[in-house]
Amino acid sequence: MPGENSRKHSLITILKESLLCIIILTLATLSGYAFKVLSLTEADIIMLYIIAVLVISIITSNMLYCLISSVVCVVIFNFFFTYPDFSLSAYDAGYPVTFVTMFITAFIAGSLANKLKRNIKIAEQNAKEKEAAALLAQNEQMRANMLRSISHDLRTPLTSISGNASTLISGGSTLDEAAKQQIYNDIYSESMWLIGLVENLLYATRIENGRIQLNLSVEILDDIVREAVKHIQRSHPKRRIAVDICDDIIPVTADANLIVQVIINLIDNAVKYSEDDTTVFVSVKKDKDAAVVSVADSGAGIPQTEKEKVFEMFYTGVSRSSDSRRSLGLGLSLCKSIIDSHGGTIAVSDNTPKGTVVSFTLPLGEVELNE
Amino acid sequence: MNEYLVLVVEDDKPIRNLITTTLKMNDYRYITASRGHEAIMLSASHKPDMIVLDLGLPDIDGVEVIGQIRTWSEVPIIIVSARSEDQDKISALDKGADDYLTKPFSVDELLARLRVIQRRLGKTENASVTEFVNERLRIDYVSGCVYLDEKELHLTPIEYKLICLLAKNVGKVLTHKYIIQTIWGSNAENSEASLRVFMATLRKKLGDSEQQLIQTHIGIGYRMMKL
Repeated sequence: MPGENSRKHSLITILKESLLCIIILTLATLSGYAFKVLSLTEADIIMLYIIAVLVISIITSNMLYCLISSVVCVVIFNFFFTYPDFSLSAYDAGYPVTFVTMFITAFIAGSLANKLKRNIKIAEQNAKEKEAAALLAQNEQMRANMLRSISHDLRTPLTSISGNASTLISGGSTLDEAAKQQIYNDIYSESMWLIGLVENLLYATRIENGRIQLNLSVEILDDIVREAVKHIQRSHPKRRIAVDICDDIIPVTADANLIVQVIINLIDNAVKYSEDDTTVFVSVKKDKDAAVVSVADSGAGIPQTEKEKVFEMFYTGVSRSSDSRRSLGLGLSLCKSIIDSHGGTIAVSDNTPKGTVVSFTLPLGEVELNE
Repeated sequence: MNEYLVLVVEDDKPIRNLITTTLKMNDYRYITASRGHEAIMLSASHKPDMIVLDLGLPDIDGVEVIGQIRTWSEVPIIIVSARSEDQDKISALDKGADDYLTKPFSVDELLARLRVIQRRLGKTENASVTEFVNERLRIDYVSGCVYLDEKELHLTPIEYKLICLLAKNVGKVLTHKYIIQTIWGSNAENSEASLRVFMATLRKKLGDSEQQLIQTHIGIGYRMMKL
């Protein structure tokens, strides 16, 4: 029962804070005795009690503690330190004024301390809220940018697909076979591109605060790389993709589906930005404490100044002619988010003699074998 | 004319058209259903040779359809699902489905899956119970020996159990959960990771680095192909 729980909780808080008050006031009284033995003045003892109330106001959560301990202070002071000792009566005519002044001073000091404490708390809370709001706005901005860019990217292939299909419907009989074949090819390749985009989008929706929610398990890197290569070979059956997997079995801790997507994106880029008759190389090796996957092509390469920017969202390279093959600006930035979330690194370097190498690392996994 | 009759269960008309056109062009005979109950009735009355079943049906869940059909028939079932339904795929396979296709799938993929099942249908009937032969691989169940190109392989007990399990279900995708429960029993911990390692070492011994014989289905399970 949550209600009962919270009631129990607040009861515990009250008990705890009351106990604290008693301890502090006892300490003050003991110190007061020490002062008396050292024959210090009553004014010094009163100061002690005012400090006690101040401390109580700061450490307790309610103003009521401050009020009650102010009254208790005056009573204790009266009982222990005014003549006659150990009685609540005071013979000196000046004492009532002392008591009232002591109460008022203690209470005002206490409430000021309490107010200060509350202000600090509110300020802290405000700062936290502001931070959360800023983050939310940043996420929203990212999502808005993504949506805008995607809607734009979707429009082109959709126009091509629907336009080509409507041409076939209305004028299919007047087109020659070669023209028809071209249209079929266009529809097919545009829709394949859309499929790639949707796969990426699906994963991009899992980004929260710039990080991706992972379903981690120990996987064999070999399996992951094979799966990605198989996928790419379905969409580019004619491209040569050489896979160099080392002899060791490399277990990695990873979200397999996401890493497959990363490798697909990297190979897809390599295929797009290099000539059709060149080979794309995929290699896997084990470093000291990480697994390394590299995808290399022999394309034009990426200029030094652009290397940092390729991981930015929606970056699609230096202005290319409008009929160049489109790539998913989402691709590499998504790869980076995924690899970052795994605690790995991803980097671009030059291939020799020409081309690009993109490599990323993954933490190694540990396996206990159940024979 | 192809001798196989395929039952296509899909409520989305364009996808149904795509599947049936593909079947027609490749000389399969087919019947269609757009709802689960209809599918159960048709599979009882027409006794199809294989079923292509979409998991997202308007009336009942596709997984339930599999469960009902499995009470009386072992007809091979290929499920079709969207990518986001990984868990659904696993429960459908555990319920007795044989294979799965993920949307968007290509026509070639569909045909390849149908051929996998056909190969199984054509060959398992005359398979003997004492021996399993799959191209270069031979398992002698009596002596408990496994041969590759007639050379004996030295397998650990777990690897032997694994290859037998895969062989007995050749052509069928087996989920991690099913394999683990069969080999280690239900209370084995952390065995999904160790299953992967055993599978990798087994594959090495089989010289199957290209995954021709044993396929890995990431996040789902494994399958031995009928070569």
